[in-house]
Parts: sequence; structure tokens; C-alpha cells
Amino acid sequence: MKSGRKQVKRMTGAMRIIHWANAISMVAAVITGLYIGHPYYQTLIADGAVDKYVMAWNRWGHFIVAIIFDVTSIVVAYLYFFSRFEKPYKKLIPNGKNVTEFGEVLLNLVTLNRRKKFDSTHSDSFNTVYFAIFHLLLVWMLFTGLQLYVHGLESGESSIGAWWPAMLHLVTDWTIPITGGSLMDVRISHHVTMWLIVTWVAFHIYYQIWRTIFWKEGDIAIVFGGSKFAKEQES
Amino acid sequence: MAERIDGVRKLFTSKSARVDTNRGDLYYQQLFDTCRARLDALREQPAVNRLDFDSLLTDEGQDRREFMKWVSAVTAMLMLPPMFTPLVAEAAELMNRLPVVWLELQDCAGNSEALLRSDGPKIDEIVLDIISLEFHESLMAPSGHQAEKQLEDAMEHFKGNYLLFVEGSIPVGAGRDWCTIGASGETFLDHLNRVAENAAAVVAVGACATFGGIPAAAPNPTGAVGVMDVVKGKPVINIPACPANPANMVGVVLHYALTGQVPELDSLLRPKFAFGYRIHDNCERRAHFDAGEYVEEWGDEGAKNNFCLYKMGCKGPMTFNNCSIVRYNEGVNWPIGVGRGCIGCSEPDFWDKYAYERPMANANIKAPTGGVEKTVDQFGLGLLTAAGIGIGIHAVASAVAGKREEGGEG
Repeated sequence: MKSGRKQVKRMTGAMRIIHWANAISMVAAVITGLYIGHPYYQTLIADGAVDKYVMAWNRWGHFIVAIIFDVTSIVVAYLYFFSRFEKPYKKLIPNGKNVTEFGEVLLNLVTLNRRKKFDSTHSDSFNTVYFAIFHLLLVWMLFTGLQLYVHGLESGESSIGAWWPAMLHLVTDWTIPITGGSLMDVRISHHVTMWLIVTWVAFHIYYQIWRTIFWKEGDIAIVFGGSKFAKEQES
Repeated sequence: MAERIDGVRKLFTSKSARVDTNRGDLYYQQLFDTCRARLDALREQPAVNRLDFDSLLTDEGQDRREFMKWVSAVTAMLMLPPMFTPLVAEAAELMNRLPVVWLELQDCAGNSEALLRSDGPKIDEIVLDIISLEFHESLMAPSGHQAEKQLEDAMEHFKGNYLLFVEGSIPVGAGRDWCTIGASGETFLDHLNRVAENAAAVVAVGACATFGGIPAAAPNPTGAVGVMDVVKGKPVINIPACPANPANMVGVVLHYALTGQVPELDSLLRPKFAFGYRIHDNCERRAHFDAGEYVEEWGDEGAKNNFCLYKMGCKGPMTFNNCSIVRYNEGVNWPIGVGRGCIGCSEPDFWDKYAYERPMANANIKAPTGGVEKTVDQFGLGLLTAAGIGIGIHAVASAVAGKREEGGEG
């Protein structure tokens, strides 16, 4: 380790597992989701339907990663408030300190690191807000996705019992009037939100690499080893 | 916005969309007793017309056996156990006790056509023939003041007892005053409200009467809405689709005759026995959907082999209707059966949101950014590109700034 730098733990093992589970799930969800919306590759017509099952496999994959997503979302929501490591919600409260920090981090980005008047050792307000937006997008995907899904269970029965479709209806039916009144609106919203998330990811990857290069604190290592290296504070 | 909030409230307080097809012996025994009492009461009532169901059947060349086959099918369609079969038969025979008023408003008369035009007299039609149709502008012989008199008489005579069928949307916006009925120039809106006031229940048939249909499609020049947006304080039953399936009309009428009540409805007031399932789940081409076998182009090899029409824009996965089971024209065929996709005609806003004959990814849908017509994917890709360009500019600027800094320091 270079002198004058200290190792700071930023992500626990659980957080890193969630991060990569989400990242892989997302790639799988986008690939299978695009197929479900518009089947873009063809199957060999000569095979019997039972041997191919292509759409069914795509839907299977889409639902499996969606469920992984949904469960990690619940874990993330819990950690937001009750993590013993750090509680992200504290950075979301729009008090003077957080607003100032948010502004300073944004200024740091747009002035290309000419100005850096905040402590970059710990998760800052800007990044926390940015991640909060991501989590809200994911929650929206969760509700709209489950709403589109539950209509395959109209009989009210499912392999795990009648409570599951009943609960899904209770929890997700409100997305229909919110998006415009029909199932098609829910579908369009689910599809558009995918693009918002992909756009979010593009900036996320860029920004993390940019931070690593310009701050010279090894930020990119957080998501692999769990820690970064911060300059020792003078004071 | 207020409408949407209302919608949310309704959804949270309405029963789940679950279709409960087996409620247990106790429930059905109680329902059986209720129906028995109801039919006995109905039999006591004087017949509204002199038509006799049995002789009408014979006249039309149908025998009792044919009739009982039909009764079994209808009992199953209504999701009732077989023990109700004799009651359903009895209800059909007592149809001449049931006065019906039929209004036709802003539409193409397609639902009346669907009901009347078929290749031969079928039992559905005989049942509807025997209903005492007290008023139907398109069918009745009288016109003008005589027609109005007929309606007044029916409303007075059967006050609170008649079923009101409504076909067509109701203009309530700018078009409100353009559409009038009769010599008095009564608007559709006033006409409907006046006739609905004394009805036992209102049955909206067809896409127009239920959710506004094509007249309500953007930009909706007449300000058309469905019956449920206008009629208040009366039970409203929606039988959407373009046209509404006569089988479902008969089902609702039979259910009413049988129980004296409206059937169980979903959150859009559609009877669950008919609209509880997606057509996708009972589609004869469903196996091809799961297999990933799609018609790519009209008339291609896939089309010849009855492959799935999803890529040709079929909206079956979002459309709730029983047409994949009961089909049209006495079960002869239905849209998917003739090799074209579903256009979602039994869903709200079907013309604007479902009827584009392309899969969503290829359709021109209004982007959430506003009035510009763009597909969702073009919009998304555009957004991603914009973000990419932003990132690129920032990256280049950062690199330049970094070099300058290095130069300055070194």
C-alpha cells in the first residue's frame, strides 16, 4: 500500500453478492425481455414444438431472474434502514449537509474534478440519491412485471397455492390505472423503464470508472474486494 | 387524474380478479334454492308476449335433444355445476316474461347485426327472439312518434323490471348536441339517462357502449364515453368486444332470469364467466407461442402451419375474453382461427392501445415524452444514445482536463 493512504471498507460481502446478482440478472432480464417483447431470433421450423420451447425458455429465464431481483430488492429495502454497516437513508434526508454534499459532488463531476470539497471516503449523497433512483426503477419493474405475470394465473391457482395470485392482484393491480387504464399501458411502461435502467447502468459504469481514474482512490475495487483506498486526511 | 385516482380506489376495494369455479356444495345448494324460488316467481308472472318457447323450437326445426345439448353447454359456460341444467332449461322457457329495451346510440349497429345475421336459426337466437324486445329502433316497425310512444308505454308498463341493452357510445363532449333521437331532439345522453332510470339493470354491449370503442378513439371528436361513465345508481354489466359475442349476451340474460341478479363482475364490470380468462391461455396456437414458432409474414410457411400470430401483432396475451372457447357464429370460427391476430377489442381503449397490427416493438405508440409518435424502443435507444453522447463529451473533457493538469504540474 502506498504511504499516506488508508484502506476503507465500503461494501460488505452481502452487498457485493447483491450487486453482482443484480448485474447478472439485469443482463439476463434485458436479453430475455427483448425476446419476449419481440422474438428476434427464429427457431428451426422442422423441429417438433416440444423440442424447442424457445419462448417458454425465455420466459422461464426472465421470470427466474425477475424473482431473484425481487428478493434482492426486499433485502436492499431492509438494509436501507437497518444495515449495521451503513444506513443509506441517512444520506437521502434533504437536510443542509446532504444537499450541500450532493451539490459539491455534482460540481466535482461537471468541473472535471477541479473542485473537490467533500469527503470521498464514504458513500456520498449524490451516489446515494443516484442509487435510490435505480432502486425505485427496479421497484416499478417489480410491480409492473408481476402485474403482467399474474394474468397467466387467472384461474386463481398456482403451483404454490391460491394466495400467490391473490396477493399479486392485491399488490399490483393499481399499476393499471396509474399507467393509463389498460394492460397495454403497463406493458409499455415496463418496456420503457427497461430503457431507463439501461441508460442508468451506462452512466453508472462510466461514473465509477471516472471516479477511479480521477480520484485515484481505487473506487472500482469496492465492488470486487469491498474496500477502496482513501488519502489520509490532513486534519 | 381524478378518474385514475378513482380507478385505483376501485381496484383496491374490488374483489380479486380470481375466477372461482368451485365454491363448494353448500354455496351451490343455496344458489339452487334461490334460483328455484326465482323461477317459480317468474312462472307466476304473466307472459309479456304470446310466444311459446317449445313451439318456437319446433317451428325452427330444433328438437328437444338439440335444445338440451345447448343447455348443458350454457350451464358450463356460466360456470355452474351440472345440477343447474334443468333450471337453465326452465329459464330459457320463461324468457317471454323478461322485457328488454334496446337502445342504439353512437355505433355501427354491429352488435345488432351479430345477433341477427347468421346462417340459420340457432337456439341462441330463438332465446333472444322470445325475450320480449319492447323497443329496438333498428328492428321495430313503428317510427317517429309511434316509436316514441312504444318506448313510453314499455317504460311505464315494465317500470323497474326491464333489462336495458345499450349499443353504442354516448357523446358527452363537443358532440353532445349533434346526436339526437326522435322528434323532440333529445340528446343521446338525456335519452339514455331517462330510459336507464326505470331499468332493473343496464347491459352495455359491444366495445362502444362499454369503453367508448372506436368513437372514443383519439382524438375522440364527439367526446364519446361508455355507459358506465354515464349511468349512475344502476347495476351496469359490460359485454365488450367488437361485436359483443351473442353467446355472452344470452349468458347474461339467462343468468338474470335464473337468479334475478347480475353475474359476478370483474373490476371493469365484465362478467367473469366470459372475461375471466385471457384468450392466450386457451388459444389453439399457444403451443407454437411457447415453442417460439411465429408467423413472420402473411402467407409464409409458418402461416400455412398455423404458427403463433404474436409477431403479426396478436394481442391475445393482454386480452380477456372467451372467444377462444365459445368462438363466433355458433362456434364456427374466430379471428385467430382464420389466421389473423387478436386486436384486443374487449379491452378498454382498444383502438388506440391494442389495434395496431404489429407487435409492440414494431408499433407506433405515443412515447412518454409527449405528442411525438415514436416506438418505445426508438425512444429508449435515443435516450441511451443521448446518455452515451453525454458520457463521451464528459470523458473527452475529463481527459483533456487531466492532460492539462499533468502538464501544469509537470
